[in-house]
Amino acid sequence: MKKLVNSISFFLFAAALFSCNKFLDVQPKNSVSDEVTIFNKASSEQALRGVYNALASSNYYGTGFQSIGYLSGDNVQWTGSQSQVQEFINHDVSAENSTIAGAWSAIYQVINRANNVIAKVPSVVDPQLTDAFRNQLIGEAYFIRALAYFDLVRTWGGVPLITSPTTSPKENSGIARSTADATYSQVISDLENADALLPETTNRYRATRKTVYALKARYYLYRGQWAEAEQFASLVINDSASYRLVGPYNSFFAADARGTVESVFEIFYNGTTEVNGHRNQWQPQTNGGTRQWAPSPALLALLSDPVTAGNRTSLVGKDNQGRWYGNLYYRNPASDPSWVIRVAELYLIRAEARAQLQNTAGALEDLNRIRYRSGLLPASENTSDLLLLAIEQERRLEFAFEPHRWFDLVRTNRAITVLGFTDVNKLLLPIPSQQILVDKALVQNPGY
Amino acid sequence: MRTTLIYILFLLANGMVYAQQEHRDISGTVADANNNKPLPGVSISIQGITGEIIADESGKFNIRVPKGHRVLTFSLVGYQSRDLVPGTDGFLSVSLQRSNRQLDEVVVVGYGTQKRKDLVGAVTKINPADTRHIPAGSFDAQLQGKAPGVQITTNTGVPGEAVNVRLRGATSINADNTPLYVVDGVFINSSSLQTISTGGKSTSPIADINPNDIATIEILKDAEATALYGSRGANGVVLVTTKRGSYNQKPKITFDISGGSAWAPPLWELTTGPEHATLVNEWWINTGVDNPSLNRNYANRPFRPKSEVINGVAGRGLPEEQQTYDRLSEVFRTATLQRYDISVAGGNQGTRYYIGGGYDKQESILKPISFDRASLKINLDQKIGSRAQVGVSNTVTRSYRNQGRAGDGPAGGLLQAALHTPTYLSPYNDEGVPVGRAGFDNVSLLIDHYDVNSRSLRYIGNLYAELEILPKLVLRSSWGLDYNNYDESEYWNNLLIAGSPSGLATSSITQNSNWVNEQTLSYRRSFGSKHAFGAIVGNTLQQSVYDRTYLEGRGFANNSFTQIASASAVSGTQSWSKNSLASFFGKVDYSFNDRYLVNFSLRADGSSKFGDNHKWGYFPSAGIAWRIIEEPLVQRINAISDLKLRASYGITGNQNGIGDFAAQGLWSGAVSYEGAAGISPQQLANQDLKWERTSQFNIGLDLGLFNDRLSFEFNFYNKYTRDGLLQLALPSTTGFDTYWSNAAEISNKGFELGIRSVNIVAKEFRWTTGISLAQNINKIEKLATPLQYGSRNLILQQEGSPLYSYWLYKQLYVDPETGKAVYEDVNKDNAITAADRQVIGSVWPKLFGGISNDFSFRNFDLGIFFSFQYGNDTYNHNRFFGEGGGARDAARVIFANNLKRWQQPGDKTDVPRSDGVNVNNYLDGGSRWLEDGSFLRLRSLSLGYTIPKKIVSRIRFENIRLYCLASNLFLLTSYSGPDPESSANSSQNQPGIDLGTPPQPRSVQFGINVTL
Repeated sequence: MKKLVNSISFFLFAAALFSCNKFLDVQPKNSVSDEVTIFNKASSEQALRGVYNALASSNYYGTGFQSIGYLSGDNVQWTGSQSQVQEFINHDVSAENSTIAGAWSAIYQVINRANNVIAKVPSVVDPQLTDAFRNQLIGEAYFIRALAYFDLVRTWGGVPLITSPTTSPKENSGIARSTADATYSQVISDLENADALLPETTNRYRATRKTVYALKARYYLYRGQWAEAEQFASLVINDSASYRLVGPYNSFFAADARGTVESVFEIFYNGTTEVNGHRNQWQPQTNGGTRQWAPSPALLALLSDPVTAGNRTSLVGKDNQGRWYGNLYYRNPASDPSWVIRVAELYLIRAEARAQLQNTAGALEDLNRIRYRSGLLPASENTSDLLLLAIEQERRLEFAFEPHRWFDLVRTNRAITVLGFTDVNKLLLPIPSQQILVDKALVQNPGY
Repeated sequence: MRTTLIYILFLLANGMVYAQQEHRDISGTVADANNNKPLPGVSISIQGITGEIIADESGKFNIRVPKGHRVLTFSLVGYQSRDLVPGTDGFLSVSLQRSNRQLDEVVVVGYGTQKRKDLVGAVTKINPADTRHIPAGSFDAQLQGKAPGVQITTNTGVPGEAVNVRLRGATSINADNTPLYVVDGVFINSSSLQTISTGGKSTSPIADINPNDIATIEILKDAEATALYGSRGANGVVLVTTKRGSYNQKPKITFDISGGSAWAPPLWELTTGPEHATLVNEWWINTGVDNPSLNRNYANRPFRPKSEVINGVAGRGLPEEQQTYDRLSEVFRTATLQRYDISVAGGNQGTRYYIGGGYDKQESILKPISFDRASLKINLDQKIGSRAQVGVSNTVTRSYRNQGRAGDGPAGGLLQAALHTPTYLSPYNDEGVPVGRAGFDNVSLLIDHYDVNSRSLRYIGNLYAELEILPKLVLRSSWGLDYNNYDESEYWNNLLIAGSPSGLATSSITQNSNWVNEQTLSYRRSFGSKHAFGAIVGNTLQQSVYDRTYLEGRGFANNSFTQIASASAVSGTQSWSKNSLASFFGKVDYSFNDRYLVNFSLRADGSSKFGDNHKWGYFPSAGIAWRIIEEPLVQRINAISDLKLRASYGITGNQNGIGDFAAQGLWSGAVSYEGAAGISPQQLANQDLKWERTSQFNIGLDLGLFNDRLSFEFNFYNKYTRDGLLQLALPSTTGFDTYWSNAAEISNKGFELGIRSVNIVAKEFRWTTGISLAQNINKIEKLATPLQYGSRNLILQQEGSPLYSYWLYKQLYVDPETGKAVYEDVNKDNAITAADRQVIGSVWPKLFGGISNDFSFRNFDLGIFFSFQYGNDTYNHNRFFGEGGGARDAARVIFANNLKRWQQPGDKTDVPRSDGVNVNNYLDGGSRWLEDGSFLRLRSLSLGYTIPKKIVSRIRFENIRLYCLASNLFLLTSYSGPDPESSANSSQNQPGIDLGTPPQPRSVQFGINVTL
């Protein structure tokens, strides 16, 4: 009996004491250790898709960042309860604004993912990874990083420049803000790198050399380098086999259209694993949305005026309670693309650059291409000042629910006049207060 | 019946030897020392021999004492035990003193039991019979106010939803703060498996336990008491012991059936349609006055005659023409409550069993929510010879819930639709079609088409074997399993916002299993009459595996198709996680002369969650107690019947609630683009991540006066948590927002006082009072950067303030001249910016507890139980929305309180002028909506009548009791919402924000309890 007891107890304790280390070593299945990540062709491609995925995230081109661009203009009214939305409309954004906070961190997430590709893909050893393809992957990462810094600088001014991946909590924090010029320099340098690495192909969902041209055109427009803006806009416009306006206006988005020839770069969402939540803010309840953001009375007036609207009235609809709603983002499941650059923008960039360069005829021609597509009579402004105002107005309607209005008015120094506020400090948005708290090196923009 | 002596002596093993030798027969009677009435049921044991006999109904007993044994122990619950040596005549006349304080009461502690007098730690024992009829899904929700130091906040009127249970405060920001629940030795899961959104709320896994199956609940509070649970004990331990049969007991069948109704307390006061319209017009005109460029004036006010069309927009009609639509009474109902329990318990010499079945259905007062639970309980113990025993505990439960969003969020939000929709808006559009207004669902459509439910299938079981290897040396091994299959489904048709335009169906199946294997070896022995010694060593292996599969379908042909199979777009996801814990522990206790008690214990835990170099944590504790009552000096004072001083210090750990892979650097594969797989950095590694450690000092005093008629239990504690597990904020420039670290330090200190008084004991009347009272002071001692939580960052965690501090703009007054709300300009920059937010008020009560009074008169019993909290605040977020002064126009209801707004110079009020330019008048996070959340609640009122024995026995029943129980009939509070405990969110870092949540109901139930 005693023997039996002893052997049982010995067995039980031995069982209990079995290799604890093994027992305590549990590895995840949905994630992998960060020690082996980008190591062959497939993982290099996947890491790049991860960068696009971040670009598409709900706080960046998924909704958040985009909303900064149009809520801060004068096209949208707020019907919901969150005053953080109203802050943009009132041009009095608090440093605690959650959209601001979300966008800031989403953009830096894109940068970190891009930095991983830029840093690690060059040293991947895989015979299947050709140099051309390797260059393409790195070039796309450079393009996305350029876009990220461009969005940062036009929203907040100069920001900390991070160009290497973060591998420990101590890295890439405590870095002071660069100047706006230095940030723009980072943008153009990344664009030049992308330009050199990318092939000259057409892809509307991913960056190619032609996508780089388009962003360069926008970059030079923001920098006031009109000749370069005109030059790079023309490079895309002239490729009319690949890029041209579609008509009527709603052809680029209605009836589940995506990837039309109008599109230079748009972000792809499949509606299931890649969801564009934008529609929830715009659609009325009967379409499963909240209609928190609705077209403003001023915009509705413009869209109901035959002189300004044309067939762009298709941007809005009416629900079963007689309320207007914006209808650019409508698909169910939520797979609306987020348009980043359309050919229409390149025409208007070139029109503006030409107007600045006193080429009024050229400017008018580009402007009227846009008006013609929307079923409007041609404009006839004949001085560059009048043309610039007409272009501004055209952009307001052409990109009514795309993130341009605020940035356009800020870059042309027209925001205060047009939007009717007084504090010049509000032209730059505040660095999120949580970031200021966490990172002592960050200095808040004046006036916040 | 028990007319003859019953032997349950187990004289196998040792006893067999003695049986062949000489022995002596002792007989006698046992009586109550107070009235000399015979005492049946007293258990009599021979010191040094396992087993006992029971005195018969007339208090007589007869026992055979083997040679070499002399001392007999007489014990009965409610009486003081006595050790006696029979005289030479072989007859003993024994009288037992009543013990109100029940010093000999057996208390379940970690891995064993102790008599109350031998306790060194702080342990509260609760008899759940008092509370189990309170209409709440889970037993923890029923315990509010019952145990000193246990703060229970029922943040919703939805039965079966999670409640906040905090034992001696909260110790962590990102790790779990709920106590460890141990049911019959199984460490059960207490985190909700809910994955569908119900507006921030979650279901309670504790609700899977039928309160009727619970025999006792012990709450272990200090480090000494929780020491053996080491790594799991930092937030205290709730030990649940379920009912078991008794050896040598005839089958006892008990039925308990009750039913009743629940209804809502007074709800919110809203403006009528005309009042709403008046306020909106006023806001419109005021806005035009402040900013003429807006061109808003009396002529173009929104509520003008319908005939006045301006810019193509017709007026909405004059204010007095507006209708008022009452949506609240459509969504609230008188709910029915039903409960059926049946159990059989009994046993023979070697077997005892308990079989219980229960069905409980509780409707929420908020349509269409309901909770029902069917449970089966089978407990069995079998002796094998004299030295071994095996047993099982089994609970199988199926909880079914009709769920609804009763919290935050527009789509499907029940109170958003019913409370937050402006009262002037018709539920129908001009064509007579039902429509949702203000961005919320149509109430009727919502109630009629709500189809969100969950089924929790739960097994909690334990199998043990116990063997006395050598005399007094007991080896026990047990395997326990907590398995939960949690199956949720939603279907939203296209009449509801969430399902528009073509329907949405989801299905989620979550499986969670926790298994635990334990071995303990325990030894207990007395040396001489003065030394008693006990020791236990053991180990535990635990593993928890979580597995979830989720499927969603959108795009249905029409509303007749409700299954995902019919959807045109289907997507799914899966998640899996696992963690392991290995532990070794030991404890020794020693008592000298029944007067000085010393305990020491140590536990080592290894967790899979931490970095390679920090997997193991070591948690020691020590406790001493001095039973001063045994000192001759004190014994001379007649008034003092018990006096004990206790002190303990120890360290416990915490790792619950953090990610299973928190220490690892991870890349995720769930980042696709163009439908193709991608990878991305997900989490930064922290190989230094280690155990959160809480040290706790406790000093306690137990005092009994006047033969324990009046007794006090006092505890003072000081807890300090180091290496607090925290998702530390990182600058976003790193590409990450947080990483897991040990960065916070939090302290909790406070006291607990339990008072029990037997006020009157007369022949047929008895009145007892119990009071529990506690205070906890919580403070974040160290936190590098403040953290914001909750809607609109209403909650701030910062160094120097308590956890969950409200972070608000302090409204000083409304300027009587201008009607503007004036806020404290903290940084004196003449502008109200984020920098002017400050910590105001506290979610923590200054005092909390309960008062119970129990009366019995002849066959009647009456219980009155109040629970209370004093000094805490609640943010009335409903009111924030409802007091926008008309600025939210058709988007939100306006509360009646808004009618007190400033209107003209000289008006003195705290509700500012309605205007749209000075948005500060309805600033997010204004302190105007922070209200005193103190309350005194008549938690339960019960009245029972036990039918006299002579009638009952005539129909061969043992006992019949009829009862009536009411809850929440009375609530004293200055809080303006219906329930100061309401909170919109179940997550631990955002308590105390009342939004869209139904109040706890008032209820009355009638029941009958029959024992055969």
